Amino acid sequence: MIKVRIDPENSEASALAQYANNFAGKRVLEVGCGDGRVTRLYSPHAAFVHAIDPDEEDIASAQKELPPHLQDKVHFEATGIEDYAGENRFDAVLMSWSL
Amino acid sequence: MVHALEIIHGLLAPDGLLLDIHPSPDPPPIEVRLGDQYHLAGWLKEADDYVEYIQADQALEEVVRRRLFSLEERGMFPFNTYADSMDELCAYLAETWQDAVVDDQVAGRVDDLMRSPEKDKEVVLRELVQISCLRALGLG
Repeated sequence: MIKVRIDPENSEASALAQYANNFAGKRVLEVGCGDGRVTRLYSPHAAFVHAIDPDEEDIASAQKELPPHLQDKVHFEATGIEDYAGENRFDAVLMSWSL
Repeated sequence: MVHALEIIHGLLAPDGLLLDIHPSPDPPPIEVRLGDQYHLAGWLKEADDYVEYIQADQALEEVVRRRLFSLEERGMFPFNTYADSMDELCAYLAETWQDAVVDDQVAGRVDDLMRSPEKDKEVVLRELVQISCLRALGLG
């Protein structure tokens, strides 16, 4: 159970809005989504999100923390980019603390 | 890292956007706030001296040089983490940042500062994060 307060100033959310308009209306692939902390910041604005991470525990946590209203457009998958076999083309790719 | 960016280039629609977020390679300071005063206790180290962030920058430079992407915009933003004690911060780092190293001297300085009678106090880890916006270019 993490007790620390992470980015309470919402600087990261502001940066996503400033630099990518929160991916509004875009089909997004997020690489290295971890527990979905960043995914939850921008996904309400995106058209569709496929978020991947090789850590199965993180993906399970991300799925668990995803609000119900985002379940239809956000999909998590436990895989790394080098093993990713999706056929979709994306409007945007987010590498969130993962390069 | 360059290979990952090549794969990503293949997954993007023409003119697609790549947004990369990763921390600055400069070690982040650890401070203690006592009331409205901030006191530097030291810096967080990494087992590999933050080399992966330097490599990430080099990988981005390489795919721009090879004209797979063009760099449209780059900036920095602060990313602060607040804890009620050094133990709490260390527990968080152990869970989320396995390469992080807090020197005993730094931890001791934080603990000394946190023993202040000031009631309004906390430990602050101040990271600086780079955000880069790149546009996919065609292969032709």
